[in-house]
This record gives sequence, structure tokens and C-alpha cells, in this order.
Amino acid sequence: MNILICIKQVPDMESKFKINGEGTWYDRADLAWRMNEYDEYAVEQAVRLKEQVKDADLTVLCIGPDQVTEAIKKALAMGCDRGVHIADPDSAKREPIAIATMIAGFAKDKNFDVIFTGMQSQDRGSAQVGVMVAELLGIPAVTTIVGFAYDNGTVQVKRELEGGSKALVTATTPVVLTCQLGLNTPRYPTLPNIMKAKKKELLPLAPDVGGLGPRQETTACAFPEKKGGGLVLEGEIPELADKLIQLLKEKTTVLA
Amino acid sequence: MEFTREIYWNVGHGFTTLAPMYGLLLVAVAVCALGFFKRLKVYRLGQPLDRTDGRGERVKHMLETMLLQTKVFRVPGPGTAHALFFWSFFVLFIGTALIVAQADFTDLLFDIKFLKGTFYKLFSLTLDLAGLVAILMLTGLLVRRYLIRPQGLVTKGDDALMHGFLFAILITGFLIEGARMAVTEMHIPQLAAWSPVGWGVATLLAGLDEAGLRTLHVVLWWCHLLLALGFIAVLPFTKFRHIVTTSANAFFADRGPTGKLTTVNLEDENTEKFGANELGDLRWKDIFDADACTLCKRCQDRCPAYATGKPLSPMQVVNQIGELAFTRPDANLIETVGREAIWACTTCRACQDICPASIEHVGKIIEMRRNLVLMEGEFPGEEVMAAMEQTEVNGNPLGMGYAARGDWAESLGIKPLAEDPEVDLLYFVGCYASFDKRNIAVATSFVRLCQAAGVKVGILGKEEKCCGEPMRKMGNEYLYQTLAMETVEVIKGYGVKKIVTTCPHCFNTLAKDYRDFDFDVEVVPHALFLEQLVADSRLPVGGEEFTCTYHDSCYLGRHNGIYDAPRKLIRSMGGRIAEMAKNRDQAFCCSAGGGRILAEEKLGERINVKRVEMAVATGAGQLLANCPFCLTMFEDGVKGANVEEQLRPRDIAEVLAERLALKNA
Repeated sequence: MNILICIKQVPDMESKFKINGEGTWYDRADLAWRMNEYDEYAVEQAVRLKEQVKDADLTVLCIGPDQVTEAIKKALAMGCDRGVHIADPDSAKREPIAIATMIAGFAKDKNFDVIFTGMQSQDRGSAQVGVMVAELLGIPAVTTIVGFAYDNGTVQVKRELEGGSKALVTATTPVVLTCQLGLNTPRYPTLPNIMKAKKKELLPLAPDVGGLGPRQETTACAFPEKKGGGLVLEGEIPELADKLIQLLKEKTTVLA
Repeated sequence: MEFTREIYWNVGHGFTTLAPMYGLLLVAVAVCALGFFKRLKVYRLGQPLDRTDGRGERVKHMLETMLLQTKVFRVPGPGTAHALFFWSFFVLFIGTALIVAQADFTDLLFDIKFLKGTFYKLFSLTLDLAGLVAILMLTGLLVRRYLIRPQGLVTKGDDALMHGFLFAILITGFLIEGARMAVTEMHIPQLAAWSPVGWGVATLLAGLDEAGLRTLHVVLWWCHLLLALGFIAVLPFTKFRHIVTTSANAFFADRGPTGKLTTVNLEDENTEKFGANELGDLRWKDIFDADACTLCKRCQDRCPAYATGKPLSPMQVVNQIGELAFTRPDANLIETVGREAIWACTTCRACQDICPASIEHVGKIIEMRRNLVLMEGEFPGEEVMAAMEQTEVNGNPLGMGYAARGDWAESLGIKPLAEDPEVDLLYFVGCYASFDKRNIAVATSFVRLCQAAGVKVGILGKEEKCCGEPMRKMGNEYLYQTLAMETVEVIKGYGVKKIVTTCPHCFNTLAKDYRDFDFDVEVVPHALFLEQLVADSRLPVGGEEFTCTYHDSCYLGRHNGIYDAPRKLIRSMGGRIAEMAKNRDQAFCCSAGGGRILAEEKLGERINVKRVEMAVATGAGQLLANCPFCLTMFEDGVKGANVEEQLRPRDIAEVLAERLALKNA
């Protein structure tokens, strides 16, 4: 079985973000970096699938500057077999279709049975790359999966829908799956696997968008405007309840 | 009149006595040696470990702990009884050896007798009293074990056998003496008076005629001999073995630095296994420890996990290892001890500190944790795994952005060394004082105190990372070493001469564990540093007297023996300390050590609530601490115990800063 996992390296969301000089994205200084949370679920699910079927080869792919190899190494330590690094210092500026084109370009002749990726990135959050890869490869995609089962070429997944309802979807491989919180708990890499990961193949590739021209552009990026802060009520509980009811009556219509 | 007695009286000193006596002694010694030899093979199942360095010191330590019973004596009551029993029995042993030496060597070969005159009088009196004390102490211990039955004391067949053997040896000894004296000394009171107990027994036996007394004497003499030899023979097969193993363990004891863990070689690419999940992964000393254990339960009595209903007893862990070694060495160690027990340890060292048998409990638990973390990726809970990942990304387990680490200090006018490396000392702030609002107040107080004393302080700011202590204690040696190496490099890069910490966990790690990474910068905990500033009159403190209680953190207290300086500091700023029942080396942990600060406490009662209740019981309104983990647990504990109005947990630096302000006001 041949499995591809597409991951992204993103800043830790607790970092001190600043807008960059061009005013179009965040500044890279003083940020801590980690693997995109949703991609961790993708890696974990792929490793579990390999543990289930035994005979599988996991390729983990990441696009970005050299530092993203740290995220690839983490995925290799979690259990992926080989890494692919599309070395692209400008990846943060690229629109989703460009990223999807690079991935599809790599994947098109590799006969991947399943492609796992996160449902979106924590920084850009477009949620488009996974489905675009599927479209470019001409295979189905199932998004926001929170449950996964595989049996002999058929995947059965649970999708998260609006309002808390779930959908059960069955698909035959090859298929692209985008992973959502709740799918699994990613493992903590063991030390022998961290050691082994250092020796695994990590293939560097040049970015190739296949002549695709820019179709969209970020013109400006800004922090949300600071609105009036919340109101903190203090005092004894009965008193607090009275104050709250008063406020709800005065400022809202919920008690009308 | 010659003050002495005929040795081998009534028994005879001929071949028919000596041949069976020495023959049986040989058998007894052989059985004993064989028994220990067999156990030696089991100890060898463990990994090698050199515990023979500094032999002079080791021998001295062994003789002290054994002959002076220094460790045994630390627990009054049973400890006193054991020590007195030991000394009495030891005196009786020496006495017997002197008799053998005279009768079968010096007198036999050179006609030299030394058991006579004044020496004999003292000899006889000493032995008589020793026998009496031994019987009294043994009776006391018997009453404790079988009638009082202290909670948690494990009593087995061994214990009955030991009491039986010892009583039989002592009582037959006095009966033999009484029978002999009834025949030979009753008419010489000035001689008999030097054997008062024997005289008493002789008086009781006075009703028998001489023939009866002589028969009784000779029969009991052989019984006594057989019992004594039997005692030697059964040594390795009963808890009597502790006479040898516990003494030997004092020789093999860990020579410190106290609480420093062994550093795993992670560079060796041939290592495929880390930590211990099988007996053979432990070191021989870990197996030997089980043989040195006497089940005195002192460790269990002091274990905060055990005291709050968690499935951990340090005594049990040690003995589970012994049981595996001797009965099923191939079984899984972690399954035997149990994960919940392994994760419950706070590494407070109360067990190891009190252990009279030099057993190292904590290291064993850490080895099992290392196996779970490094080989299985297992933690006590998802929150701990998340904290590990946070530390990997941001260098702190709280998950705060690393770049904001120095923000707390911006308004205080102190700079990171990257901006100004010319400082008197580096303040290694630690994660909690950098990010946790409650502990930032401590850091701020500490900096203000330094500034008031004219000490120029620098911090590492965003270059500082977690020292790795909670990760290491949780078993994550890989993450610890990564953090340690980075921290050592950063600090060395600035040529720092002196470091002060407000966190005893940072202190212990930088001062001891980092030595394995070639780090030898002087590290001082703030409790000592501030005490020195006050002692040197560099910090004028004053104000009205106040009452407080003081909590010895495990890592300043038991790990570093710092008990007096913080108390002196508190008194010098007008504090009157109402001590908690468990203080100094007996202090009860706050629950946060051993990396437990990262974990939720899901089993049993809450340790911090229990400690807070002990503080409330003193009636003092303030609970002074010296550790951010303790402070965090106490702030939580006063809420849990619902005593927020009664008890205010504070760091000593905060109180000192306040007193400084009062003085200036």
C-alpha cells in the first residue's frame, strides 16, 4: 500500500505575531514552529493504517523553506518511511491552487492509494489544498474526517458536519482524506524512532507550479481592531446574578 | 580471690566438645555462605554499576550506619529499640568471641587468660546487662509487631522465626548462666553480684539439686550452641540477612550528589533500549536493595502518594523488584509494579532520605518512567504529553510563546544578557516565574530586592528555556538532555560567573544534573542568596512581627539540606515560625515534584490540600514557600481546602520585599 501524507509547518498559535514589512502576512521573527495540528492527525492515521495492513510505505511531503524539514523529521519519527521536501522559500505567498499543483505534480505517477492531509492549516486556514489535490489527480476527496476504517481497498470514514451531526462516507481507493480534530490522538515519538528518523530518506525537490500564473494576491493583512473589552463582574454570587440580570435586561433583548 | 569463671564448666574442654562444636560451626558457616552465594547470582542479573569508588569513605559510612545505628535511630520508638537491641546483641557477640578467643586460643596455646579480675567483673556485668536490654527491647518490638500492629507493617513467618530464635538464644543464655552460678557462685556473692541477671536466675533455680542443675546446664548449653549456629545458618534465608545486606548496602550507598539522576548515553547508536521494563534492565544495586530492605515501612509512612490513597508504596516497589528477581525474572517489570504506581511518585525523596538501608527508590521509578516515555511514548495523561510538546516548541510546559519569556521584566529595568551582559549575576527565572502570573510576582519581588541591595541582575529572556527538570523526572531524558545542552551553551556563551534561581527544581538541576554537561557555574537558591544579603546588612528589613508557617520544599530541603537559612531569613525579617508537624527532613511534599506539576492528580486525595490543612493547623495566617511549584499547589490547595480566608501562601521573597517597603515607608 502506498500512502502520501501532506503536512505544513505553521507558527505556534501562542507566538507573538507581528505583521511583516509588506503588510501582507505575519513576520517570521520570534515565532516558534510546529507541525500543523490537523496534519498531525493525518500522520497519526497513516501510521495506524500501516500498523493495520503491515505492508505499506508512507511518504510525508512538506513545502516551504529549509526549516520545514523539522516538521518532516517529526513525521518520520512518528512512523513515516520517507520524506519529500519541496524547497520553496516563497510557499507562504502562494495561493492554495499553487500548493495543490506542486503536490499533485509529485503524486501523479506514484500511485498513492490514500492521501492524508489536514482539513486546513492553522495559519492560512483556506481548507482548499486537500480537495484541490484530489481534483487535480482526478480522485475523490472526503473532508473533515473524525473517524476512519480501512478494509481491502475500501475506506469508511466519519465526517463532521455542521451542528454536530456526522456523516458516514464510504469510498474506494485512491482517495484524499482531510483530517479534523477528534480523529485520533497523535503519538509521542519514541526515542528509537527519533534515532531511526535521522537516517530515513529525505528527498529535496524544486518547486514546480507547472506554469500556473498568480490568480489571487493578498493585498493587506491586519490584526482585528480592538473593540471594547469584556466586562468582569465581581462580588458575591447572589449579587452577581442580580447584576447579570440587570445587564441582560438593559443591554440585550434575551429577557424581553 | 580470683574473679573469673571456668570456661566450658560442666561441658568439658576436650575433643568431644570442641570437635562437634567447631564441626557444626563449619557447617553453619558453609550453609550461610552457600545461601549468600546463591543470592549473589541473582544480584548479578542486574546491569553493572561501580559502587566501590572512595572505599575509605564507604567503609566509614558503613561502620557509622551499622555500629552507631545513625539511620535506624532517626525514628524514635522502634528505631531506639532496634538500636539498643543491636548494641546489646553486638556486645554479646563480642563477649562470646572473647570467651572463644581465650578458651580456644590464648589459653590453649599460650596459657594467657584475660577474663579475670576487674576486666572479668566488667565483662560479666556488661554482658549480663546487654542480655537484659536485648530481651527487653525484643519484647518491646514483639509487642509492637504482634499486639499494637502499626498500620502498614507487614508481618510474615520470617518475623516469628526471628523473634523465636533471638528469644531462645537470649533466654537459654541466661538459664545456662543461672544453672552454672547456682552450682558455683551462690556462696560467693561478691562475684555473683557482677552477674545480676544470672544471679537472679540462679536464685530461681536454687530448688534443684546439683545433679539436676548440671544436667539442665549441659543440655541447655548444647541447645544454645545449636540455636546460635542455626542463627548463622539461616541468615541468608530469612530477614536476618539484613545484618549482612543492609550493612553492605551502606557501603554500596549512592554517594551523591543527592538527587542527581544518572545521565543516559543517548549518543550511543547501538543502544536499542532505554529505561527498564525488565529486571535485567535495572542495575545489580536495584536488586540488592530488595535484599537489604527490612520492611520497616518508614518509606511508606512518609510517601505523600501512599498517604493520599494512591497505589504507590516505595517499600512495595523495592520488594516487587526483589520478588521478580528471585522468583520470575522474566516477567514484565512495569506490569508488576503498575503504571499508576510508577506515575504517582513526586520524587520528594522522603523514602530515600529516611531509609535506614541505603535503598534508592526514586532511581528505580525513574528508570521505569524512562522506559514508558522513551520506548512507548506513554505518559500519565494527555495533559503531560501536551506539556512535553509545548516544551519542545516553546521551551516551556505552559505553552506560552517563547518570545514573551522576558516580558515580565520589561518594566523593572532589567535586561536580557543579549542586550547587557555586564551583570553581577544571572537570574535563571524558570518557566513559572516567567509566565505564571502568581509567580511573576515572586520574580518581581526578587528583582526589586536585588536592586535594593545594589546587585545588578540580568536574565536570559527569550533565550532562556525550561531547565528540563519536570521532563527528566517524568522520564523524558531525551527532551531533558536537549534542553540541558542548549541551556548550558547559552549560559556559557555569556561567561556567567554566578546564577541565582527562585525555583529549587532549576537550582538542583543546574547545580547537580548539569554537571554531566561540563557545567560548573556557581548556582545559589534565592533563599540562601537573600539570607546572605540580609546578614550582610545590604537589605534593611523591618516592620512589626508576624506569624507564619514555613514549608520546606523537597528540592531545597531533602535534596539539598537547606533548612536553617530560610528560617533564619524569616526570623530576621520579624517572622515567628509556627512549625507544621511535618517539617524539615520530614516535610510533606506539595505534590508537584517528579514532573507531577504537569499532570492532573486523579487518584486518591489531593496531596496539596492535605499539606495546606497541615499549615492551617498551625494557626498561622501565612504559609511561606520557596518554590514556584509549591506556591502554585498551595494557591490551588487553599481553594481545595476552602481556607482562602485563613491561609495566604506566599514566597519568602514576596514577604521580604514587603518588609523592605515597610521599613522604607
